[in-house]
Amino acid sequence: MRSNANRAEPRPLLTSDVAAPAGALSRLAADGDQQFEAFFERLETVELLPPGAPNRIRLRREQGLGVRKIENGRSRLAAADVISGPAFAACCDRVAESARSIGSAPPRIRTGTWPALRLAELEQAESRLTRAVHRRRVGFPMEITARRHRRQVQVIRGPIAAPPQFEEYFSLQVTTPWGVWGGLLPSLADEDLDPVALRLVDRLRSRGLPPHQHAPGVIVLGPNAAAVLLHEVVAHALEADTLGLSGAPDQAVGLKLGGPELDVVDDPRSAPLNCKRSSDDEGTAVISRWLLRRGRVRQPLADLAWAERCPSMVPGAARRASRHRLPGPRTTHLELLPGPIPESELFAEAVGGHYIGEFDRGNLDPLDGRCVLRAPCGRRIGASGPVDHTGPIEIRSRAVDLLAAVTAVADRPLAGGAGWCAKDGALMPVWARCPSIRLEGLRVAD
Amino acid sequence: MSARLPGLRSLRLALGAVCERSGAPGAELYVKVGNTHRIEIDPWMTPVTANPHDLQAQVSVLDERGWALRAGGANRALFLADSGPLPEPNGWRRLNRHSLRPGTLRLPSPSPDTTPGTAPSPAADAPEHPPDDEETAGLTFLHDLLRGLGERMPEARLVRGRLDSGASAAVLASTTGVTARSARRLATVELDFAASRDGRHGHCRLYRAASNIHLLSAGAIASEITERLTVATAPPPPFLPAGEVVVSPALGCNLLALLAPVLRGRDGWPRLRKLGDGHPLGPPQLQIVDDGALDGGWMSSAFDDEGVPTRAVALVRDGEPGEPLLSWEDDGWSGFAAAGCRRRSGWRALPELCHSHLYIAGGSEPAESIRSGIVHGCYLLDRAHDGRCHATFERSPTGGAGLLEEGHFEVDAIGLVIRRGTVLGEAPKVRLTGSVRQLLQGIRAIGDDLRFLPAPGAVGAPTLLLTGLQVEAVG
Repeated sequence: MRSNANRAEPRPLLTSDVAAPAGALSRLAADGDQQFEAFFERLETVELLPPGAPNRIRLRREQGLGVRKIENGRSRLAAADVISGPAFAACCDRVAESARSIGSAPPRIRTGTWPALRLAELEQAESRLTRAVHRRRVGFPMEITARRHRRQVQVIRGPIAAPPQFEEYFSLQVTTPWGVWGGLLPSLADEDLDPVALRLVDRLRSRGLPPHQHAPGVIVLGPNAAAVLLHEVVAHALEADTLGLSGAPDQAVGLKLGGPELDVVDDPRSAPLNCKRSSDDEGTAVISRWLLRRGRVRQPLADLAWAERCPSMVPGAARRASRHRLPGPRTTHLELLPGPIPESELFAEAVGGHYIGEFDRGNLDPLDGRCVLRAPCGRRIGASGPVDHTGPIEIRSRAVDLLAAVTAVADRPLAGGAGWCAKDGALMPVWARCPSIRLEGLRVAD
Repeated sequence: MSARLPGLRSLRLALGAVCERSGAPGAELYVKVGNTHRIEIDPWMTPVTANPHDLQAQVSVLDERGWALRAGGANRALFLADSGPLPEPNGWRRLNRHSLRPGTLRLPSPSPDTTPGTAPSPAADAPEHPPDDEETAGLTFLHDLLRGLGERMPEARLVRGRLDSGASAAVLASTTGVTARSARRLATVELDFAASRDGRHGHCRLYRAASNIHLLSAGAIASEITERLTVATAPPPPFLPAGEVVVSPALGCNLLALLAPVLRGRDGWPRLRKLGDGHPLGPPQLQIVDDGALDGGWMSSAFDDEGVPTRAVALVRDGEPGEPLLSWEDDGWSGFAAAGCRRRSGWRALPELCHSHLYIAGGSEPAESIRSGIVHGCYLLDRAHDGRCHATFERSPTGGAGLLEEGHFEVDAIGLVIRRGTVLGEAPKVRLTGSVRQLLQGIRAIGDDLRFLPAPGAVGAPTLLLTGLQVEAVG
């Protein structure tokens, strides 16, 4: 069955003329150092819990706006949980710190209707995932919570309105007798549920196995696991605010972090299905950004504030968890470009090592660069590829050592490794497309 | 408060419209408004000047407003939450009989011995300061903190600083006749500092709260940060004495928070009783209490977020299991009475059973005499923010080895090595481990300096003298 998520976008968030608030914002700027930006947001989360749960269906909707003044690197934000002309005017007054800052009559601001609820795909998720598990000739009890997330954003900065943005994606939480699996999916179609079934079956087969005490000498990471590793040690490490903790972020440009096989790009335009972005949460057009080019740092992730502080940085990577939070530089869709090696050869030179299909947890300490990655299970690599299942594996290493250990990149990239990034407590969906990679001689930190 | 709450009459009209359109036998509406002043400082912009208003800071003024509806009965139910004002009675047109889906909804009935009404917390009774005052007070607090820290420890470097100060109010009504109002004020500060001394790096993270910003002391927090960074950047001790361990209120709060799963609900009660294994859980002076109506508490309210009256529940009384923390749905279970203990983390959330002010009641012994009475042991100041802090109460879900039903905990902490009242050296990272039974039964003294920390909710502990736990140096 095909996904029905890739459909026409809903009506724009703002149905009134965006020129009115744009004109009001441009009148606010008293001098050239000030920029004013309005952020309109609408969120919807529909949650379907397992049968028997109280309030099994839960619908959360919210909309609101935030007005921000940026002046000499300092921001002043006012936000409200309503989208209306008077709320917009009140927020403008708060950031401008004067009454009637945009005149006596607030602009006319109207919103479009909410998209249709469409519960059928959520209701079918359980049976389709169960079928996908059964196709692997196993069966076990599962409790499935399915959620659909929708987000509409409209940013107006000064006199210019960016194109409206719309994202739709799904999250699943599957509780089994041996643990909980959770993750993000671009759709609930069979082609996206099938890899979930594979991971659940892997966990079934490795249940009860003891954890590894030592990191193996050779590790092959599947596309999902490689995506999590790169998210932690490349994307987070190259966010301007993380780099700013240890010096000027632009000084990182040109640093060698890995071998020449590492080409890593952040490109929100190529995110899957309805998660593609053409502009970021500050209204700046997004770009295909080389984070690493042949292993060297090329262009860290930056937003407007960091681009103002470090002129060599390019904005366009700003994301905000909600209208109540200030934007910050974040990754959206990470890609590791494929290498020349067929996947079978990747395994052939890793016999005796371990294959890790997914990490369920990752963390980078921004101050000392130490990274912790936890895999719930793994597989020993034999002559024919991954064979026996093994228990949980935890890798603790410095970020630079992890990247230096990458010796080969396979030739077949797959979408995967999507998940929630929770940096600074702000939950944001992130996407990735990676091939498998091989790590050798990994130095493990204490 | 910039937005106003609707009156109970508006809620009742809306409930009538909801039930009429959806056919739901019961419904409940919860409306919340709030405002927050947030000041954030990042390390790029920390220069401290003479004028607090010149502090390089990001300021946010946030108005929040939303409502949540629960409707349904024994077979069909709906949960719906939305931002903005509550719809007018004719604004529920989209609801119909198909809006309810398979599921269940039960709502509490009014308590016979209480009268519904307004129940602001003591903190909310404090006079509300104009927004400009709030911002000025916040900037002054952060300015004083950074200046004070610069004087005490010039090498300390800010990694992240965030101050939130705000107020909220909520009103609730249901078709069963329950009504309640509540109001709350809270200020929280989250600080992350790092320092390097003689090539050794240390971090310190603090999260503190008060019922208003004027009760947060910049000088005291600067001293706490200095003390923690000094210990975190010290060389490790050549050896650690095994024996007495005195934990500060800050670390005591972390240890108590680890025990929370056995201190609530029907599930926790049998595990709490089993911990004693035929013996008292702890010394006779040990009292562990959860009190939703604690005088002067940040979360204090006469009703919980379902309109059920709150009260003090003695979870551990005189060292023995007291009574379980039960919600109204479990009232009368094993002969125990329920208490208002279901709270919402915001208007978007459903009410869940959780603690409000969970604390170990302070004892009679002065904390200073406990610390100075250490013959040869450790005084642990706080948890190490980049270390372990967890407890396990169940068998491993993967079926791994180890019988952990009695509970086992591990906490990495920073502290001092002390011999007969003299500090022998600093311990930048030690691991405190043991079973939960050992932790409770090993309490030898309880200080008189009860202090609360945000956990979430509020968790409180005084200085504690512990024995029988393992302490080892880490790193």
